[in-house]
Amino acid sequence: MLSAAAFANGAEPDAPPIAAPAVPPVAAPAAPAAPAAPAAPPVAPSDAPPVAAPAAPGPATGLAGSAGLRATVFGTPPQNMAPMPSRVPLLEINIAMPWARPVPDVFWFDRTLRVWLSAQHGPAPLAIVISGTGSDGNTSKLSILRGALYGAGYHVLTVPSPTFPGFIVSASSTGVAGDLMQDSRDLYAALQQIVVHLPRRIRITDIDVLGYSLGGANAAVVKSIDGTEGKLKIHRAVMIDPPVSLFASVGRLDKLFAVSIGSGDEAIEILYRKLYAELANLYRASDRVQIDESFLLGAAASALRTDEEFSAAIALAFRLDLVDMFFAGDLYARTGVVVDPNHPPKVSDSLEEAQRILRNKPFSEYFARVFAPYYLKQRPGSTSASLIADSRLDIIGDSLRDSPDYYAQANSDDLILDKRELTWLRDTLGSRIAVYDHGGHLGNIGERQQVSDMLDMLAGRWPGAAQ
Amino acid sequence: MKPAALAALLAVALAGCASQSVSIRRVPSEHPAAENAAAAESAAAFAAAAALAAEGETDRSVREAKPAPPPITPADAPSMATYDPFERLNRFTYRFNARFDEAVFLPVSNVYRRIPSPIRSGVHNFFGNLSEVDSVINYSLQWRLKLGVRSLGRFVINSTLGLGGLFDVAAKFKLPGAPTGASTTLAKWGVHPGPYLVIPLLGPSTLRDGFGFLADYGTSYAIDIGQLYRGNVSWWLGGTNAVDQRANIDFRYYSTGSPFEYENVRFLYVRKRLIEDAGLRGK
Repeated sequence: MLSAAAFANGAEPDAPPIAAPAVPPVAAPAAPAAPAAPAAPPVAPSDAPPVAAPAAPGPATGLAGSAGLRATVFGTPPQNMAPMPSRVPLLEINIAMPWARPVPDVFWFDRTLRVWLSAQHGPAPLAIVISGTGSDGNTSKLSILRGALYGAGYHVLTVPSPTFPGFIVSASSTGVAGDLMQDSRDLYAALQQIVVHLPRRIRITDIDVLGYSLGGANAAVVKSIDGTEGKLKIHRAVMIDPPVSLFASVGRLDKLFAVSIGSGDEAIEILYRKLYAELANLYRASDRVQIDESFLLGAAASALRTDEEFSAAIALAFRLDLVDMFFAGDLYARTGVVVDPNHPPKVSDSLEEAQRILRNKPFSEYFARVFAPYYLKQRPGSTSASLIADSRLDIIGDSLRDSPDYYAQANSDDLILDKRELTWLRDTLGSRIAVYDHGGHLGNIGERQQVSDMLDMLAGRWPGAAQ
Repeated sequence: MKPAALAALLAVALAGCASQSVSIRRVPSEHPAAENAAAAESAAAFAAAAALAAEGETDRSVREAKPAPPPITPADAPSMATYDPFERLNRFTYRFNARFDEAVFLPVSNVYRRIPSPIRSGVHNFFGNLSEVDSVINYSLQWRLKLGVRSLGRFVINSTLGLGGLFDVAAKFKLPGAPTGASTTLAKWGVHPGPYLVIPLLGPSTLRDGFGFLADYGTSYAIDIGQLYRGNVSWWLGGTNAVDQRANIDFRYYSTGSPFEYENVRFLYVRKRLIEDAGLRGK
């Protein structure tokens, strides 16, 4: 989105993290080695409905310091980008899933799943790329990865995250997003539909799957499901900046919102008023006759100065995605937080009030009021602690450890990870992980090193020399 | 024939939601290498400009003798809620626009974008040049004569040296385009934007800007340069202009997938206009 390279200050990779050091090893909510089985001792009596929300261990910014936060916002500077092809053809595919349920009135536009394909002329391997939390199948990050993969000779299929509203409505079997295994199962089923409906002229020699952020975790789980079901015969999986524990990572983003913006409608209003005044003054001082993209780019660069402001931008972007997911979940699970289950909103009704209420709500509230009530009913015997444990990457820990076909790229200043989670990734994947010392969260996608390592991993050329 | 064509377009728009299990369509290719090069270039220019601004900051503040208006404070920001008395109608229109866009505008503009870009920019420049006339009039009405003269100069240069407006020669003479219109004139005169209004086919607007649009069209129609607005070609021209405009707007209805898209677009559009208004008062 933003590419104001001048501000991504790559010159200080060792900026002192504003994060506190290691978390005390005692009393951590879910130890990395904890088994996925529901045997984990529940913290609270399990089925009493206001369920304990997941707590976020450690600092709100995870491993990120100042440079990590900036890289997260600005992304890879254009001059550091890997070589890209001059032209990438694009097909848009809209596909209805046979198992799709009736589409709620307010989601009339999300009837079909929309994915994008860039096809080579001749036979080639297919790379399926999965988007990050709440995002569609054509984000700017996906566009970068598409360019790199297409340039390396892959057919490239980019798909939305199972937490994207368009996926929830058109392809989810639950309507309640956030469970790593269930979401990945839905995605796996959707991918089968897509692959059989691809134009016949496209000849596929092999299938690999990748994803960034939450999509990275989805990619690995999709591959592991395929390992037992064998419908797609996925060869390799590459995770780019994946979370290790979904709920710990989003818990950090909740915390980041609370420390950089505050809580309640008032805090959001204060932020809004501050931003409005800042933009208005900048605009007045400029000699432009209208607000356009280049103005906004410059404004972002001058409005974002402190770590706190970068944190606020990151937390806000996540919150806006969460609002959509929360609304969809509440509607489908009939949990009544903002949607009256007996009188769901009609297409012409205002949703302003629902949005106003939801934008104040952290993920922990989605967990406690929509996600956990729904899944506790679906899975008798489960507890909120087991639901949290089920959404950790260690549900496929054995495959990650033993199979040579799982790879990861991670940054040692990623804000969605803490030290132990990064260590867990390293220990689990061994030589099949590359850890970079900069980039924050996703801020080095498209960089020369990231791209060439990713291509090596996909092609099985990765030397495994990471330390 | 014209009403029939319009009716056909409407029918297509309304049928746009007909279900079908798979639909595949070609969309414009991406050009990552060129885009990166352009981004790198603009980032470098941006950094240079920022450095220059930082250097010249002190002496510019001395030079600026004109008393600056008091800065806009957070308390001046409008409420986060938006005045939208026509909400039901607006939502209906927004939905109609989304369907029309999906069924007609977008496919047509996707085809249009396969035309080689020099031709497309010629078309774009041509319509931009026609609109300079309206800009000259409105800058005069806004009493921003310097900008009015700039628009006039652009019109003269581009109509002659630019071969009837096909080439934006003026921009190469350091006279970049700065279009304005009747809605900005109304704003300059102190007319409040009024309620949010979604205009059929056009999209988000406000009551004031809607009148501004009509006034701009009326002006062009009254002047009728080269009989382009009233003659036989007017429908073709209007259609081409609309497609060219659409092809230059990077927006896709409901690509966010969000149930709150109507609210989000309304919020951003109205804030953008208010900031532009506030800027106008300080200029």
